[in-house]
Parts: sequence; structure tokens; C-alpha cells
Amino acid sequence: IHGLTYDGCNFFRQRLVLSTLSGKRVKISNIRSKEDNPGLRDFEASFIRLLDKVTNGSRIEINQTGSVLFYQPGLLQGGSVEHDCNTQRSIGYYLEALLMLAPFMKTSLKATLRGVTNDPIDPTVDVLKSTALPLMKKFGIDGEGFDLKVVKRGMAPGGGGEVVFTCPVRRTIRPVQLMDPGKIKRIRGVAYSVRVSPQMANRIVESARGVLNQFIPDIYIYTDHMKGANSGKSPGFGLTLVAETLNGFFLSAEMSSTPQGQGDPMLPEDLGRNCAKLLLEEVHRGGCVDSSNQSLALLLMTLGQQDVSKVLLGPLSPYTIEFLRHIRDFFQIMFKVEVRKPLEDERKGGDKVLMTCVGVGYSNINKSLK
Amino acid sequence: TVKKQTESEEEEEQEFEGSVILFIILLFLSIGALQWKDGLQQKASEAFLRQQEAAPNLRKLIYGSEASDSEDEDKELGGLFRVSRPHNSTKFQANALDCSRFNPDTFHDWDLEEMLNSIRDCFVTGKWEEGQDAA
Repeated sequence: IHGLTYDGCNFFRQRLVLSTLSGKRVKISNIRSKEDNPGLRDFEASFIRLLDKVTNGSRIEINQTGSVLFYQPGLLQGGSVEHDCNTQRSIGYYLEALLMLAPFMKTSLKATLRGVTNDPIDPTVDVLKSTALPLMKKFGIDGEGFDLKVVKRGMAPGGGGEVVFTCPVRRTIRPVQLMDPGKIKRIRGVAYSVRVSPQMANRIVESARGVLNQFIPDIYIYTDHMKGANSGKSPGFGLTLVAETLNGFFLSAEMSSTPQGQGDPMLPEDLGRNCAKLLLEEVHRGGCVDSSNQSLALLLMTLGQQDVSKVLLGPLSPYTIEFLRHIRDFFQIMFKVEVRKPLEDERKGGDKVLMTCVGVGYSNINKSLK
Repeated sequence: TVKKQTESEEEEEQEFEGSVILFIILLFLSIGALQWKDGLQQKASEAFLRQQEAAPNLRKLIYGSEASDSEDEDKELGGLFRVSRPHNSTKFQANALDCSRFNPDTFHDWDLEEMLNSIRDCFVTGKWEEGQDAA
């Protein structure tokens, strides 16, 4: 098997995840090579260490400046893993990769991740819990012990949060036909706050409801105020909103308060209102998978049994487009891409994209026979 | 996969036939000599062509043209590594932030009634197609 070479640190996780799943080695050069402070950052090193923990026999070489990385993947081992995620990025950054790898481990993964649970950059653990997990269930990744639990909340920049992710292993992935999202029947959400007045969460809920009530009456936003040892090291608040359709699909939006000391503070009313508008934006994009989980869906389609999978998506994000290119590099799979325009009298947002592929028939060779 | 390709080709053919019929109807109408219908035939053919072009373009945007694929495979370095694609063809900065969030350049203005109306039927409170029931 020959390896692949890339330039720069962008799409870092995609490359290492697909390398691990395909068994193809990868070499990434010119990582921030022209910057004053060249090479890998601490959060990337932390990510590599996590990858090393869940695999067995991986070979990782980094040059002196950290601007060249060579990675030869080992076997996905799984089991019980604990990791302190570097707080430059939130746990979501690390977890997105684990979600892609976990079903293909030798033994079920139980990952305890510590660090920042909520920041404005990456998908938070709350939104991954309510969107990525139900999506994976559609592909047959299900059963007891499939869970993501937020034990302690830790806002950026200090962190101090903790989540436990457990995932059963699968030998094969079920092909899917997810083409009709169905209408949105209800909206759920979590307004969280730590180390600030619990009243903040109520103010967020009020303003978000004000926007969303124009569409649907069935809205319930929980308030979650963790205290004491479970409240992390930094103050903050935020909101995650999830629209659930009749056919069991989830579209999400979220917003976190500005981390302490990193800019102008945000009023909870503004945060609630803007987050609700972000959800409307996501509904406008539409499809059966929300925009931040597009690549997870496309990966599971790729690795499915040798049969046709079809998934309706909203507009492809730049991250997803690059992911499709990487899938072609590592698995030689190219998707059929069809634009679906809404009918003229239909008020269902913008153009959708129907993605079709035949799975590579990936079978989990790591999974132990019982 | 060859079978599937022919299947999809058949589908495309059927779609094509459908649009040809539509086209003929429109042609018929335009002969009806009403002034406002004059541009209809041209409009229909233009719309048809636009639609034909839109789909392959998205695929091309993602995967590049077929020609550049074959070029890639020639660029083997010592038989071990393969240059995945020409670097200048990616519109992304190689060292930009690795993040899955979809933050488009411009958001719609959700204070406008017009925008709110554009997604009404995505909700159970919106209009239902015939033959579908509220579960």
C-alpha cells in the first residue's frame, strides 16, 4: 500500500482518521512552515497522542521543527482510554474523530475526555450528543453502551470539563437510504450556564423562544446549571438547539458565550436570538443530516456494505467538499452528486444535494471473534 | 457498478424524455401567437440547459476534471508516495483552521418576513403535500 502526501495543517483530523481506517500511511509536510512559530500546535500533538492511545502499533515521526509529520497507522484497539484534551481546542475537536473511529475498534471504546466542553469554535459535546449519535444509529451503530455523557462542564478557556463516550463495535455498517427528512415536529434545546447567575439561562430561553415560536409551538429548552466541582474553571453560558423531524432526523445550531478575556462579552438575549436564527439557517439548508455532521454521514456511507447508499444533504460545506476529496484519495470512492431544487410552490428552503455511492464493504478486521 | 451506471443512464434518459415532452408542449403554446408567450420556448430551452449544466459542475467542483485525475497518478515519488492533487487547485489555505463548522460568508436576514416564509413548509405547521398525513 502506498502512502499519501499532503501540505499544511488544514484538514489534519480527516487525513489521520482516513489513514487509520484505510491503513494507508500519510505524510504531512509544510505544517505552518512559513510562520514565525512553525510546526504542530499543542492541540494537534494532543490529538496525535489520543490517536496513539486508541491504536496499537502506530508509528509517528515528527521532524525537529514539527513541520513534517509521518504517520503509519496501527490497528484500532479501543478499550478504556483516558485523555486530557489540550484546551486550545474543545473536546468536540477530538470527539469528532473518535466518533468516526469508535465503531471499528477491536474492543468497545470507553473514552474519558477532559478539557473544554463548550467553546465558540468547534461543535460542542452537547450538540454532538444530540445529532451525531442518532445519525450513527441510522447506520446500525446502536445498542447498549452507546452514549455520550457530560459529567462536568468546562467552558473555554479554562476547561475543567469531562465527558465519557462509550461506543459498541460493529463488524459491518448498514447501507442507508436517507432521502426524505420529513417535517420538523418539535424543537428541543439546552441552555447551559456555569459560574454565572442561573438567571442567564432563563434569559437565553426567553429570547430563543421568541424567534422560534413563529414556526412551531412544541418547543422545550432545558436549563442546565452545573455547580461546584462540575462547573469547570471558567464562567460562561450558551445554547444548543435541535430541530427534530417526523422521520427521526436532527438539525442543530448552537452558540457559546465569548470566552473570558477574548473579546466583548455577549448578552444572553442576543445569544438566544442569534442562535435561534442560526437554527433557521440550518433548516433552510435542510437535508437529512445537519451541516456539521455531513462528513460523518459520508464516511459511514463509504464504509458500508457493498450496496447503494443515498443521503440527502443541504449545501455541502467547504470542510465536507475536502472530505469527499480525501475519501477518494484513501478509498477510491467517488460520490454521485445530484442537485435537488425545491418545487416552485414549496417553501422548504434552498437547494439540496443527493449523495449516492456504493460502499467499499469495509469489514472490521479488528473486532475480536466471540 | 456497470449495471448501476446503465440504470442511472436510463433514469437520465427518462428524465430527458420528460423534458422533451415538456419542451414540445411549450413549443405548441408559443405557436399560439400570444405576445407574452413569445420568449417561452427560448426560456424553456435555456432553463433546461442551465439545469443540465448545474449538476456536473458540482461534481467537477468537488473532484476536478477527469483529465487532472490521470495526471495525478503519474506523479509518483519513488513508488511510495503519491501527490494527491496539484496544490494550487485547492481554494483553501493549506494551513487554515481545521474545523467542521459550516460558516458561510453571508447569512440570510431572518428578520425579513420573506425569509421566514421560505421555510414554512419544513415544519408540521406548514403546508402538506397531497397523500401525506400528519402522523
